[in-house]
Amino acid sequence: MARLPEYQGKALFNRKGIPVPEGRFVQSADEAMNVVHELGFPVAIKAQVLSGRRGEAGGVLFAEDRDSLSQAVAELLGKRIQGSPVEGLLLEERAEVQRELYMAVTADPSTRQPIAIFSPKGGVDIEETAETEPAAIFTTPIDILRGFYYYDAMDLLRQGGDLESRQMLTLANLFTRLYQVYREYDCKLAEINPLALVVQGAMALDARVDIDDDALARQTTLDIDFAEEAGERAATLLEIAAATIDEKDHRGTVHFVQTDPDASYAKTTGKIPVGLDAVGAGTGLTIMDELVPLGYYPIDFCDSSGNPVGSKFYRITKVIMAQPHIEGYLFVSCVSSQQLDNAARGIIKAFKELYPRSGGRPNIPCVVVFRGGWDDVAVELFREHGISDGRWIKVLGRDTTEKETAEIFGALYREWKKETGGL
Amino acid sequence: MKVLEFEVRSGGSIRIELEKCESCETKACVKMCNTQGMGQILELKDGVPALKYSLEEVKRGACTEDLGCELECELHGNKALVITLPLPELDEYLEGLSEQPTYLREA
Ligand code: SF4
Repeated sequence: MARLPEYQGKALFNRKGIPVPEGRFVQSADEAMNVVHELGFPVAIKAQVLSGRRGEAGGVLFAEDRDSLSQAVAELLGKRIQGSPVEGLLLEERAEVQRELYMAVTADPSTRQPIAIFSPKGGVDIEETAETEPAAIFTTPIDILRGFYYYDAMDLLRQGGDLESRQMLTLANLFTRLYQVYREYDCKLAEINPLALVVQGAMALDARVDIDDDALARQTTLDIDFAEEAGERAATLLEIAAATIDEKDHRGTVHFVQTDPDASYAKTTGKIPVGLDAVGAGTGLTIMDELVPLGYYPIDFCDSSGNPVGSKFYRITKVIMAQPHIEGYLFVSCVSSQQLDNAARGIIKAFKELYPRSGGRPNIPCVVVFRGGWDDVAVELFREHGISDGRWIKVLGRDTTEKETAEIFGALYREWKKETGGL
Repeated sequence: MKVLEFEVRSGGSIRIELEKCESCETKACVKMCNTQGMGQILELKDGVPALKYSLEEVKRGACTEDLGCELECELHGNKALVITLPLPELDEYLEGLSEQPTYLREA
C-alpha cells in the first residue's frame, strides 16, 4: 500500500471535482510567507506525515497573523510525529465549519468488493466510532461492474438521518466523485475525514488516499515511488530500491520491508540486528519467532513467492546485505515448490560479488536453509562453488527445522563474535 | 573481438566473449541452459554459443535468468560469460550511506 500525504490526496480530489480548502505545500518559512500573501489569514498549518492521529500529536496548528505563522512553521518543521520527521507542511485557508461528517470508499476483503462508508460523526477516528457508536456508521457494498451512482449514494446518506435535502444532493454528488478517485487511482482506501459542511456546500478538510502498490506501475501520473507496505511511514530508499526488482519483471516476486531501518529498536532492546530472506511469509514469521527469544532481531522482512527467477534473488540478496547494521544473515525456505537452485544461484552470484577476495565466503555469520524443490541441487551448488567451506556460513538442507536454524545461527554468531570481536 | 551480447527481461545483459569459447572443452553454459536451466535459449553454432531465439524474444523473457550459464562457465568453462544486472536505486542508496555495509569491512 502506498499512502499519499494529505496534500497529494487533496490534489487527486481536486482533479475529480471534490472541493478542498485553497492551500499550498511548503517546506520553509519563506515559502509559507509568500503563500500566505495569496491565501490571507487565518490559515491552518498541517504537518505532512503519513501517520494517523496527527492532530493529537500537535501536528496541526492555526495562525491569525505573520508572527504566529512563522512560530507555527518553526515549531512544526523538523518535529517528529510518531517517529516520522516533518519535512513539509500544507498551508491552507481555514474553513468555517458548520458540521463534520465522515465519508470513505474502501476494499472489503470479506465480500471482495468495494464498500462505501458514511457516518454523521466526522472528525474522529472511524475505528473509535465503530467501537463506541457502531450504529452511527452506515455502509453499502458496491458492485464494481455496475458502479456507484448518485441514487446509491442518496440511499446511503438517507440512513444517516438528519441531513437537509440540499445537503444530501451535494454529498451524494461528492460521494460518486470519491468513488471515481477510488477506481481511477487503484485505491485501497479513499477517505474524507472530516468532510465539512460549509456555507458554500461541502469540502474535504483532510484526505487519506492509499493506493494499491501492485497498481503503481500503471499509476504513472501519481509520481510516487513504488514500495512495499511500510505502515504509517514513508518508504525508505532501500525499500524503494527493492521494489524496483519486481517493477519490470513479473516472474515471481520479492517483498522487502525494513522492520527496523536504523536498527534502533534492536539496539535499545539489546538484540543483535540481522538480515533475513525467507521463502514464504509464514516461514519468515516462524524464524523470527525462533530468533527473537535467542537475542537476534531481523531488521528486515523479506519474502519471495511465485518462483522468482535467479536474478531476483541476486538483487534482493544485495539489498539485504546493504543494510549497514546487520551482524548476520539468514536465508530460510519453507518446504517450497519453488526451484531453490535458482535461489541458490542468485545468492551465490551476490556473495561472490560482495566478497570477491574470499570467493564468496561471507565475513558475517550466515545460515542458508534449503527445503523444497531442488533443495539438494541448491546445497550442492554452495559446495561446488566453495562457499560452504567458509568459516562463517552454514548451508543446511531439508531436515532442518526453524528452531534448529535459529540455534545453529546463534552458535555461529557467538563463535564469530568471540573470534573476530565483530565488525 | 567476437562477442555475443543480449539483454534480459529484468533489465541487464549477458555478454559472452566467443574467442574464449573456441577452446572451451565443456561448453558448460549450453549444457546448463538446456538441462537445469529452463530457458533453453543457447545452442552451439560453429563451436561457440549462439542464441536459438531473436534478441527481442530473449529480452521479452525467453531467457529465464537462472544465472546457471555464468556460474557453470566460471567453474567448468573459460570464464567467458558475464551477467550484468544493475540496480541503480541500490547504488544511489549505497552512495548516501554514512556507514559502510559489513561486506566492505575487515573482520
Ligand atoms: S562455458 Fe563459458 S567458455 Fe565455455 S562455451 Fe560457454 S561461455 Fe564459452
